[in-house]
Amino acid sequence: MVMKIRLARFGRTNSPFYNIVVTHARTARNSRPLEVIGTYDPVPKKDSYDTSGRLHKDIKLDTTRAQYWIGVGAQPTDTVWRLLSMVGILEPKFRPSAAENQPKPPVAKA
Amino acid sequence: MPPRIRSSPGLLLNRAETSVLLHNAQPSPAAGRPWAAAATTSSSSSSSHYSPQCVSLLPQHHQQTSSFSTTASRDLSRNRTKFWAFLKKEGRDFKNAPGEPKYLGDLKGSKEKRHAPFPNNPTYKSEPVLSDVARETIWREIMKQGMPLKAVSAKYSVDMRRVAAVVRMKEIERQWEADHKPKALPYAKAITSMVPQHSLSEREQPFEPVNDVHVHSYTQQQLFWPASESREFTRKDAAEAFGEHILPPDEKMRIPELMQLEKDINAGVEKHEAYKSFLDATRESELQIANRERTRLMKEEANKTRVDSGRFEFRFERFNADNVGKNGRARKAVGWRYGVPFSDRRRAEVKIPTKME
Repeated sequence: MVMKIRLARFGRTNSPFYNIVVTHARTARNSRPLEVIGTYDPVPKKDSYDTSGRLHKDIKLDTTRAQYWIGVGAQPTDTVWRLLSMVGILEPKFRPSAAENQPKPPVAKA
Repeated sequence: MPPRIRSSPGLLLNRAETSVLLHNAQPSPAAGRPWAAAATTSSSSSSSHYSPQCVSLLPQHHQQTSSFSTTASRDLSRNRTKFWAFLKKEGRDFKNAPGEPKYLGDLKGSKEKRHAPFPNNPTYKSEPVLSDVARETIWREIMKQGMPLKAVSAKYSVDMRRVAAVVRMKEIERQWEADHKPKALPYAKAITSMVPQHSLSEREQPFEPVNDVHVHSYTQQQLFWPASESREFTRKDAAEAFGEHILPPDEKMRIPELMQLEKDINAGVEKHEAYKSFLDATRESELQIANRERTRLMKEEANKTRVDSGRFEFRFERFNADNVGKNGRARKAVGWRYGVPFSDRRRAEVKIPTKME
């Protein structure tokens, strides 16, 4: 069966919190996974005593386990791909420069 | 830190109020209604006029009605009549209370100030607060003269946490002044006039105890511990007898360096010499705490990867996913747990946050 690395949504209404899990693709979203390899808090937060207003997101990730599961063929979802590419485990899939390198469609002349 | 004071402005007459009272007694242009000027800004509802604090400002003895009302004013109730009688006799002292706030609980002739705002509840005492001068002194000694927090705490007998809070608040105050932010000075003045002030002078009682030792429940049991008569059995041995992790009171004190100071003075060391080594010891202990905190932060930072996406900074913290315990539900395991009720659904668990980050 296909192995997936995906997010399992926890938290309450309007306050999401995700476990980054390794599961079989056909199991329910919040069913017990094979392994929890991290968490992802999508709500941006400010640092206390920081007046610059910069926002950050907190992620916990067991990089060794993530690398292992990628190595044995687990398929990350797009969101997880984006996160894993940030720490260099995967090639970035969606990056701004990728769109620019695409060949442009020919412009029709009148 | 929780407030130490719960004072009742209603039962308190102080100099500030008295001055208002005298001011209002003079004829004012506001057509014989001394509080008319104040009433124009608020609504003309009568509820605000008859709070106890405001009543003391009224020179009239009859209830005021609105100008458009045709209802005759009611006579004074019995209680109100008694109140005005009180203001004429015993209450006179409260009009001219100089300096400190004067409480109704101090009424019955005793010269000693009990700071009791409620006459029927003499056990309730209004605790003094640090005056502005005292707070300024604490701030100066720590921020300007570079004294250790512990030493200042011991010197003035003010709790270390309070000393730290005073410094933080004073720093904020200075920051506000630099930013030209308005300060709520009339409010501060009103509050400080209602509670007794402590100026940290030597003539006063110590502000609060700084040497309190927390009594561990292990040490409250009765213990029979056979020891030979010739053996010197110290507090340290007693602590060990109660449990391996129990500290003797000398080390349990919040400022254990004070112990060494007293020992030095008893051993015949010059006072200023002993005090100097006390200052060194407290400074050293503070440095140790700062170093420990710095090491912790550096260790935490080394475990993190920061990726800036332009909009947000993503902070990846590494952890070991294998530490989930035997059944995968260890409390320290990362993420939401499977197969257990969530913490916000569990009964008898305090959900109020205890800490702000």
